[in-house]
Amino acid sequence: MTPGHLPEEAYAAALASVPAIGPATLRGLLASDPPSVAWARSRGATEGSVRDVARIWARHTDAGIAVLVPGHASWPARLAGDPQAPAVLFCRGDPAALDAAPTVALVGTRAPTRYGIGVAAQLGADLSGSGVSVVSGLALGIDGAAHEGACGAGASPIAVVAGGLDDPYPRRHSRLWERVAECGAVVSESPAGVRTEKWRFPVRNRLLAALSDVVVVVESRHHGGSRHTVDAAAARGIPVGAVPGSIRSATSEGPNALLADGAFPVCSAGDVLVALALEGAQVPVPAPGRAPSRPSRAGPAPGTDLRVYEALSQDPASLDDLTRATGLDLSALCGALERLALAGLAIGVGGWWERV
Amino acid sequence: MSHPAGARPFTHMLAAVASATLSGAVGRAVSVEVHVSNGLPGFTIVGLPDAAVREARDRVRAAVLSSGLPWPLRRVTVNLAPSGIRKGGAGLDLPIAVGLLVAAGELSPTCTEGLAFCGELGLNGSLRHVPGMIALADAVAPLGLVVPLGDVREAALVRGSDVHGAATLGELARVLRGQGDWPDPPAPSPSADHGAHGAPDLAEVRGQAVGRRALEVVAAGRHHLLMVGPPGSGKTMLAERLPGLLPPLTPEEALTVTRVHSAAGCALPDGALFDQPPFRAPHHRASIVALVGGGSWSLRPGEISLATHGVLFLDELGEFPVAALEALRQPLEEGVIRVSRAGGTVAFPAAFLLVAAMNPCPCGEGVYEGACTCSPASRARYRRRISAPLLDRFDLVVPLSRPDPDELLAGTPGEPSAAVAARVAAARGRAAERAQSASGAGEGPELAADAESLLAAKLRSGDLSARGLHKVSRVARTVADLAGEDQVSFAHVSEALSLRAGRAAVAA
Repeated sequence: MTPGHLPEEAYAAALASVPAIGPATLRGLLASDPPSVAWARSRGATEGSVRDVARIWARHTDAGIAVLVPGHASWPARLAGDPQAPAVLFCRGDPAALDAAPTVALVGTRAPTRYGIGVAAQLGADLSGSGVSVVSGLALGIDGAAHEGACGAGASPIAVVAGGLDDPYPRRHSRLWERVAECGAVVSESPAGVRTEKWRFPVRNRLLAALSDVVVVVESRHHGGSRHTVDAAAARGIPVGAVPGSIRSATSEGPNALLADGAFPVCSAGDVLVALALEGAQVPVPAPGRAPSRPSRAGPAPGTDLRVYEALSQDPASLDDLTRATGLDLSALCGALERLALAGLAIGVGGWWERV
Repeated sequence: MSHPAGARPFTHMLAAVASATLSGAVGRAVSVEVHVSNGLPGFTIVGLPDAAVREARDRVRAAVLSSGLPWPLRRVTVNLAPSGIRKGGAGLDLPIAVGLLVAAGELSPTCTEGLAFCGELGLNGSLRHVPGMIALADAVAPLGLVVPLGDVREAALVRGSDVHGAATLGELARVLRGQGDWPDPPAPSPSADHGAHGAPDLAEVRGQAVGRRALEVVAAGRHHLLMVGPPGSGKTMLAERLPGLLPPLTPEEALTVTRVHSAAGCALPDGALFDQPPFRAPHHRASIVALVGGGSWSLRPGEISLATHGVLFLDELGEFPVAALEALRQPLEEGVIRVSRAGGTVAFPAAFLLVAAMNPCPCGEGVYEGACTCSPASRARYRRRISAPLLDRFDLVVPLSRPDPDELLAGTPGEPSAAVAARVAAARGRAAERAQSASGAGEGPELAADAESLLAAKLRSGDLSARGLHKVSRVARTVADLAGEDQVSFAHVSEALSLRAGRAAVAA
């Protein structure tokens, strides 16, 4: 096998697969030389080393992973002027999705509240429905919820992941991973076979910001990983939005602090579209809540149910709190709560109750 | 073997004395045969003795000499029959000494007829306590039993007036020779009924409406309870108050509890009989053997057996070794634990009420979603320690939160244990009545129509599994019993569902 049989992308993938060569080193190596030359200089041009290149190349093509390098036809335009653009990009799905539409990153904590999950899914679906690509990291929590909402809702979703594309991480999201690859693109800076290591997440967050026109933080703790994405966005002049949350909720500390720092508030997909300067786009009016099938009677029945309903608020309350507030015994209280839940007026999870 | 030599007056003499040894929580009758013959002076014990029995040689010799009785300067062989089973413990000291005195001619063979002996000897000739006296007394029936004076009341629980006591070997020898009467056992100390009043009272718990109610339901319906809550939410405090809500033990239950404690060598209450439900709280570092019982071949009941007819409290459930928790599944089903060892299989009673407590996650704050600072992976790891089958054994999984500071400081005491216990007793009475007349009615009309549709809705939405449905129905039945109602209403089912809501916080 001669070097002539292998494209330059194969050498780029092979260089990225050398454990000692990190993203920055790779960028330096490929700044001056084409990948095949850089390979020959760093690893030797022997027959054995070329066989390694062929093996790595086959691994990527077999797994359906496209290798993109700057100058490639499908190299995303957004990365063209980026100061820390990756030297090589791996992609499953359609690379054209990376440039097809305006992009909005929806990011946040891996341990969200139900509020955060609901908002992320709603924003994902609404934005996707208005023709905006949702960019996220396929992590548990907010990332996953955003893509769950976005898949199949319209525009092609984009996922930016930290590890190799042949090894879905976290495992729980393998299905979602496939769906994103089918209707959009999953990209990574890591070649196939690379395990997801800790240091790759901040690197991934930088790429995620670089591929987005707007970054929205849905829920995040004070020192959460979303901070890396926001910093990278700020460094690139990308507008950052945040979903306001309760001042008592630890998972809203991040977005609330961002709002105080000047991020624009995101209360609906419309706010994001405004930020995208896309006001002309057709905006589906986001329904308040998920519009549950309300029963014919509008409110709670007077008496016990009303008393319990009035004791409920948007913040979750424990049964102990509610017994104290209503003075009812537990049977009567629970009965009223279940009736309210059946009427779609209240919801209880794990013993905590709130108004819908 | 030894034939009469004619020249010597003494050739050999044989004595057999009845006794018993402990195997698990039951006694086995043992016949102690003592053979004294001419030959080099020596003392051998055969018949599978354990180390404690082998050491009896030295104790018996010293005790006989200290009591002013002669030691035969001949060859002494002791056989413990049946020879095939292992004998353990020091309780065989006394029958060996008595057999020796008979074989040496110090006591007449007739004076030990119809009597069995159990007791450990001190070097000064005093008789000492042996564990498992109830089981031993059972094993030697119908013979009369002679035990250390302090053990008389314990043995008399099952044998009545057939039990005699003695304080020393010398005293016993005098009585057997007809030179005195059996001494009276010591009277129980006047503060014998401390058990009922020693348990902590529920009135000391402030707030915690859900936790208190859960205890009431658990006590009334004999349901197993798992409390999930952050540190400082009062899980241990609540659990300790559960025995105070349970009805006092019935005579049979009391005897079972006392028997197990006796076999484990635990100190018995002054009245010798446990009349209050026991409360056992083994630490999470306890070994499996300590929990379920065992030991090499002197099998000993474990914590779960000591908790029988009472409460087994496992604090920090997630920290117990997984194997130990899985070992609880059989006793939870059957009320009995079977321990098998090379020496044989022993069944211990283990009909306990399981109360467990755990934090929702390693940081302890995860009862309410979003408050937790653990990584998803560490949460998942923590939850995986409680297997789904084990979690299914809990009828109630109650989420607890820290009490409101105002309520803590308000100083108004909660409802006292006695008031709750009265409701529990009434509810149990209703349940028992219903069980007696259960032939005709069936389950159908018991459940109100709206309650049934609520359960159906929960089943359809996947909030409830088939097994969960069964558990919720049982708990709802208990709630209705506590309310004194025949029909299970919507509110009762709702409450049963709420008392299970903590599953969401711990189910993997």
